[in-house]
Amino acid sequence: MPSNGSSSAAAVWAVLRKECRSEWRTRYGLNAALLFAVTTLTAVSFAIGRLGNRTDLLAALLWIVLLFAALASLSHAFVREVEGRTLLLLRLVASPAAIATGKLVFNLLFLGVLELVTVPLFLVLMGAPPPRWGAFLGILGLGSIALGGCATLVGAVISQARGRGALYAAVSFPLLLPMLAAAVSGTRAQWEGGPVGSEARLLTAYAAAVVGASLLLYDRLWED
Amino acid sequence: MSGNLVVLGVALLAWLLLFFYLMRLERRIKELEKR
Amino acid sequence: MWRGLLLLWMTVSMVAAFTWAPLVPGLEETTRVLYFHIPAAWLSVVGLGWSMVHSLLYLGRRRIEHDDHAAAAAELGLLFCVVATVSGSVWAKAVWHSYWNWDPRETSIFFILLIYGAYLALRSAIEGEERRARLSAIYSAAAFVTVPFLMFVVPRIYFSLHPDPLINPGGKIEMDPRIRIGFGAMLVGFTGLFAWLLSLRVRLVRLERVQLEAGAVPGGSL
Repeated sequence: MPSNGSSSAAAVWAVLRKECRSEWRTRYGLNAALLFAVTTLTAVSFAIGRLGNRTDLLAALLWIVLLFAALASLSHAFVREVEGRTLLLLRLVASPAAIATGKLVFNLLFLGVLELVTVPLFLVLMGAPPPRWGAFLGILGLGSIALGGCATLVGAVISQARGRGALYAAVSFPLLLPMLAAAVSGTRAQWEGGPVGSEARLLTAYAAAVVGASLLLYDRLWED
Repeated sequence: MSGNLVVLGVALLAWLLLFFYLMRLERRIKELEKR
Repeated sequence: MWRGLLLLWMTVSMVAAFTWAPLVPGLEETTRVLYFHIPAAWLSVVGLGWSMVHSLLYLGRRRIEHDDHAAAAAELGLLFCVVATVSGSVWAKAVWHSYWNWDPRETSIFFILLIYGAYLALRSAIEGEERRARLSAIYSAAAFVTVPFLMFVVPRIYFSLHPDPLINPGGKIEMDPRIRIGFGAMLVGFTGLFAWLLSLRVRLVRLERVQLEAGAVPGGSL
């Protein structure tokens, strides 16, 4: 019967490994995300060139690229299950919270890999000034956790609806708006030499709130 | 001043129309609920 | 009958607002917009809150009536939000010469518009009454968490990036007591209107459901 209690950590780990393996087999999501990010960066860089002194535009662009690449690929985590009819099997093995947590961790790892490629490329192509690494990576990390948390929750809700592509973006956006504002503002601030403490605190609280709320809500998701 | 009264007149008219439409709705719903 | 009272109240309030209450010095003739625009915005927010609370209640108690309220309040809230946004934008053009400026209040109302839109779009994409109620309630609960953040993010962003010269006139306006009275009266009237519209919508939804259930089991099929 479904595992719970002390074995739920094992369940999360198992779901995580399964996700990594199935993603690695096709690399569909990763390819889509990387392709999207690279294409966007190239197009912008080609059209505008280097934006060395426009820290406001740089900050906004970075998060736009990350946002859209994430939206293009993160929804797939749950849709894959529904389309492959493997969801029922998963639920026999693990509790809904464990499944969703496993997918959340996977999505965060996915975002990490995406950013590992995208961010350096961005900094180079757009001629960005050297960032204050601590603040920059801090805001990036916290914003990514918030982004991943929201995207995973919305992906789970959407997976049972029709018309997923456009709906996913529309439904995620209100949830992502406060986080985006803080992330862009923080990224800009670290280039302009200002403090990022308040944005960092806000992002931390936001990420915690979203992930926390998600964990509470996941149990209600699959009751059919 | 008269422009003001025109706008007031329009607003009042719109409100009255809305009100009577809503009363019709209300009556129809009450009827359906009785059945 | 309280509907008759509402009719009288709104009529008197409107007349008073247009004739008895004075104009605000900075706004001149556009003053009158505030009697409609601010109540609409206020009720839009109340509608969102009502919808979210009933979503949480649904997740807790699983009674479909809560979902009815959540959905009806969302529809009404969206309507009032559109009215507030459009009237606000036109007013902004008249007074500040720009339709949209991402002023903190404009941003907040935009955010509410987004949440309503997303919620209703989500509902229309899900089939099955119970599933739709459950998933949209989950979404509403998640949105409920993010609303206070926007309340804290927006003032911080806008103070640090662009100290906003376009101060919301709400602070200055409530000085003349006659304006305050007229405004308060309109707010009460609008709230009554909202409550009435909500009750009509909820009752309609329930009737539709009863009809659906009755139709699914035609007489004598058991």
